[in-house]
Amino acid sequence: MTNLEKFNAIFTEVFGVTPQQLGDNYSKDTVSEWDSVHQLNIISLLEETFDLMLDPEDIMACTSYNAGKEILIKNGIEL
Amino acid sequence: MILDLQHIDPQRIVAIDSSGAELRYAEISQLSKHITLLIPTRSLCFLLVENNVGGIAWVMSMLDSRQLVPLILNVKTEDTLYQQLLHTYQPTYICAPNHFAVQGEVVDCQYDYTLAKISDTTPTLHSELSHLLPTSGSTGSPKLVRHKYDNIEAAGLNISTFFDLKGTDRPLMVLPLYYTMGLSMVFSHLRVGATILITGLSMTDPNFWKFLKEQQATSFTGVPYSFQILNLMRFFRMDLPHLELLTQGGGKMPADLNIKFAEYCRDNGKRWIATYGQSECTARMAYLPAKWALEKVGSIGIAVPNGELSLIDTDGNPITTPHTEGEMCYRGKNVTMGYAREQADLALGDERDGYIRTGDLAYFDEDGCYYIVGRMGRFLKLFGMRVGLDECEQIVQTDCGIECACVGTDEKMLVYITNADKQNDVKDTLVQKTHIVATSFQIRVIDEIPKNEAGKKLYSKLPIN
Repeated sequence: MTNLEKFNAIFTEVFGVTPQQLGDNYSKDTVSEWDSVHQLNIISLLEETFDLMLDPEDIMACTSYNAGKEILIKNGIEL
Repeated sequence: MILDLQHIDPQRIVAIDSSGAELRYAEISQLSKHITLLIPTRSLCFLLVENNVGGIAWVMSMLDSRQLVPLILNVKTEDTLYQQLLHTYQPTYICAPNHFAVQGEVVDCQYDYTLAKISDTTPTLHSELSHLLPTSGSTGSPKLVRHKYDNIEAAGLNISTFFDLKGTDRPLMVLPLYYTMGLSMVFSHLRVGATILITGLSMTDPNFWKFLKEQQATSFTGVPYSFQILNLMRFFRMDLPHLELLTQGGGKMPADLNIKFAEYCRDNGKRWIATYGQSECTARMAYLPAKWALEKVGSIGIAVPNGELSLIDTDGNPITTPHTEGEMCYRGKNVTMGYAREQADLALGDERDGYIRTGDLAYFDEDGCYYIVGRMGRFLKLFGMRVGLDECEQIVQTDCGIECACVGTDEKMLVYITNADKQNDVKDTLVQKTHIVATSFQIRVIDEIPKNEAGKKLYSKLPIN
């Protein structure tokens, strides 16, 4: 699996959606289920999958699919 | 007044929310009197709340007036369940935040909530019935817990006593107002004239942390998952000099996390108090005194003041020796009257008389501290919310058209099915209907769901993790 596939898999697992549903518009504002529980799950899976230890700033910033990508890039993960 | 609020300085602030709005103690009695004038007969009202000042104002005023008996619900209650509740209980009034756009004849509009009349009839309500809460936040059961006015007084007294609450306290409230533990925070803090810092902001929102720090919160109450977030947010490195008390309820916390918080509190001059409770008993029933937080980690401790815990064996006889497992029972004035399953049940009186079998299996140690070892009832507590396993099976049966068997732990629900093609469908359906994060469900395909000769599912044959 590529890093992008692993990244997508985190979102499909947490939200129970297909990779096709993900994209630029997938965010806290457009997805009604997106609450702190979901955000926490994304963070835990990002840390586990990519062997990271994210800062509180990253955790708070992780409010969309795209923001998730930016956090990975910032932490040296190529997508 | 309710909770003896007449003794509190009316100019004191009851609550501040994260939008900056404030509520004074005087306003509760004003709104309560206003309700008494507006509502001619004691009536049922669906009160849909958000965590803001208006939510507290309407909840407490309705309870104080005794004219409106609220069923307190999440404003985001899933629509199928909401319709089912409307159909089952047929309230006369609905009160909800303005943006909810309640239909019906508008009776009053205050604190950004609208009270509207939607029916001319009202169900018969027992004179002691104070409010109703759903038994399950998510699985679509219309079963409610019937509370009485004495439960509110008892919860207020018991909880403010064992936490040693005082008027200068500024508790941070993230637990929902429609959740028994959130509501009990309100009762116990109002009784001592404290100021509740209430917010609906996500704990992963920067504004949440700003609110906590700027408002100088003195205590925080959460469910296990709240503390997982605090941990992830590097809570232990933050400078929070005003925070003096951390309290936890809503299910058992992972031991390592519990120890981490208990040690942090011990080393930083703060108190860590784990609690146990059920909606059937107006929230808190037991607490582990801070002095035992580390020594007896994982214990639910002793009964709250004015309450009594006991154990019975399978024949119903009392267990009096330590380290013997049995069903835990509770006696106290915070025990609610019973359940409602249909409208006519709202006329029922107290069916429990202050005593309840909790459905939890437990033992106690030499100091009388209780430890929960298992559960007899068919439900899990995912993220502190009770999720009925039978209700989930029903959802799968209705929406996916297949039989399944739900088991699991408070960490994860396992759904056993026999049709591999339905795996995604079952998961999607449960996620949609319960609004619980998809990672909480694992669907497992097996050849056959084990049953006895009578066709009853044999859950004990299915691995729970």
